[in-house]
Amino acid sequence: MSNIPAPGDRVEIVLVYQSLLGIYGDRGNATVLMKRLAWRGYDPVLTVVEPGDPLPDTGRVYLLGGGEDAAQISAVRALAIDGGLHRAVDRGAAVFAVCAGYQIVGKSFTVGERDEVIEGLGLLDVTTTRGPVRAVGEMLTRWKGASGEQQWISGFENHGGYTRLGPDAVPFAEVEVGIGNCDDGTEGAVAGTVIGTYPHGPVLARNPALADHVLELGLGRTLEPLVRPEVDELRRQRLAAVRRLAR
Amino acid sequence: MPSPPQSPHAGLAIDSPRSRLAPRARARLAAATVAGRLAATASRIAGRGSGASIKGRVMMTLDPAALGKLLANKRIAMVSGTNGKTTTTHFLAAAVRASLGPEAKRMVHNADGANLHHGIASALSENPGADIAILETDERVVADVIRLGRPELLVLLNFSRDQLDRHHEIKALGRSWRNALADAGADGPIVVANADEPLIVWAAQTAREVVWVNTATTWTQDSSLCPNCGSSLVHEQPRETAGHGGRWYCTGCELAQPAGDYEVRDGQIIDTERRVWDPQLNVPGGFNVSNAACALAAAVLMGVDADTAFAGMRTVSAPAGRFATARFGATTARLLLAKNPAGWAEALPLAQTSTVVLAIDSAAADGRDVSWLWDVEYEQLAGRTVIATGPRAQDLAVRLSHADVDYRCVPDLAAALSGHSEPVDVIATYTPFQRLRKMGGV
Ligand SMILES: [Zn+2]
Repeated sequence: MSNIPAPGDRVEIVLVYQSLLGIYGDRGNATVLMKRLAWRGYDPVLTVVEPGDPLPDTGRVYLLGGGEDAAQISAVRALAIDGGLHRAVDRGAAVFAVCAGYQIVGKSFTVGERDEVIEGLGLLDVTTTRGPVRAVGEMLTRWKGASGEQQWISGFENHGGYTRLGPDAVPFAEVEVGIGNCDDGTEGAVAGTVIGTYPHGPVLARNPALADHVLELGLGRTLEPLVRPEVDELRRQRLAAVRRLAR
Repeated sequence: MPSPPQSPHAGLAIDSPRSRLAPRARARLAAATVAGRLAATASRIAGRGSGASIKGRVMMTLDPAALGKLLANKRIAMVSGTNGKTTTTHFLAAAVRASLGPEAKRMVHNADGANLHHGIASALSENPGADIAILETDERVVADVIRLGRPELLVLLNFSRDQLDRHHEIKALGRSWRNALADAGADGPIVVANADEPLIVWAAQTAREVVWVNTATTWTQDSSLCPNCGSSLVHEQPRETAGHGGRWYCTGCELAQPAGDYEVRDGQIIDTERRVWDPQLNVPGGFNVSNAACALAAAVLMGVDADTAFAGMRTVSAPAGRFATARFGATTARLLLAKNPAGWAEALPLAQTSTVVLAIDSAAADGRDVSWLWDVEYEQLAGRTVIATGPRAQDLAVRLSHADVDYRCVPDLAAALSGHSEPVDVIATYTPFQRLRKMGGV
């Protein structure tokens, strides 16, 4: 991506179809990215796009969240017509897609009792079908952070679809507690600047290293560390809680 | 000035006041009731709450048909929806009570908000002679009570996301109501329905008769798609000067906001005869005017005249502890309940004190997933001091730090409430709300 922003520069975060894909507080991921930019002196701008409005071609990070079946179908149809998400990835912008959003950026997913197959956007080589039991609960995964250092990721998963990775997708993380993709020990998927993952929470509030990684992908540069004791304390509590629950 | 009611309870006369159960069926129910009462007493002594739900559970274990028997031969009005059930049921019960006058014992009401099968059975068994039941009913139980009790009235308030770790699709609940009303056919209840809520309108379509209430609802975030055809819904903005909600319609089918038989406008209630009532309620908030409009519609259908209904509704001040003022040592605190983003959108503007206490938990009754914290506009509290409390106080603390709100994190409820020289407003999710009621004796 051209021109790498510096502190003081405008950085656009795009929240995709909040009314359809925002059921689990997913707007919070945008709030977290905006704040982490502002705390570092950048000039963040949030663009909330609804179906019918074109996706801007100026965003650095595009966020998708969770939604019910009907909303998921509407969203994927509108995004396929719009084409903006593909253009964004071609430009090198980051796409961070959670839950139904993760399924949408895959190759296909199924909905309803009759398992109707819906074509996805194909940004990740994953397919999703209805799983044997709904995955609901606190989860914990291991993620190899940008630096290669292992990080714990904590969140809450709530999905009926089980996702299988194709040869072109790399798992985002390994499951310690929870179901993840399809109870096969993997969670989420990555390809280039596109990340799909199940936990909300919202996940970026609980996992600041991941939040900064998403920003660094979109900005094309590294960021100075931030000290936020309240986030560290939440993280400590949630990691302790999920381990306690798993026992 | 409202005129005094003419004939206080003429409208509430019914033909067959007492239930006629076969002797053996009655004996089994009586035995189950006694056993349930003992269990409830034991639970109360052990400090586990009112015991209403435990009593009902014991009764229904010993007599699985207990709920159906208890509902038999009663005039039943039930109230359901995501938010406002308890207050609306209290409004309706107060209106009916006012109309019954000295015969108020003819009515039974699950006033403590225990609204699942067990809680309803328990409340009904407290007053087996009653021939009128006003029942707050959990969304998941509505279809069963329609089938078992043949209610004459069903009030449907609203529908929004709540406890998604348990109810994965809010539309599935709406579909269960719709099917139950269709199955009941001509024997089904008359529905009093909030015309502002697309999912409510869709669910009520199969009822034999609907009385629509335009409630001036402002929360539209859970109704972006048509429940009938899946197309986008358009919500037209309310006129800026008027205090009433917008109108909505579907872009793909005929579903649209019905014309209201009753209407809420600028904090007043307009009835079917276009009379304008100033509700003068003793509970705060525009949403409670909407709740009162729905209760009024139901009360009138039951035969209560509007003057009497309002006189009754004005006696409601702290339904099951909501909006109650309690003392915690030297601290005076008003207790507000908010269970989901729609509820918080209603409650936050009511909190007017300079220090506000927010209590968050994620027990089963609160919803185990607190991601909803990020759907609530805590930004509006900027400039005030917020005390974050409850087992999930730290999740709230992080949310508040991202909303530029000054806060202190005090996880222990008693510590969070102690030592305030000025009154404080407290907003709590379900579990801490119940604990605060107990601590404050309200
Ligand atoms: Zn439609």
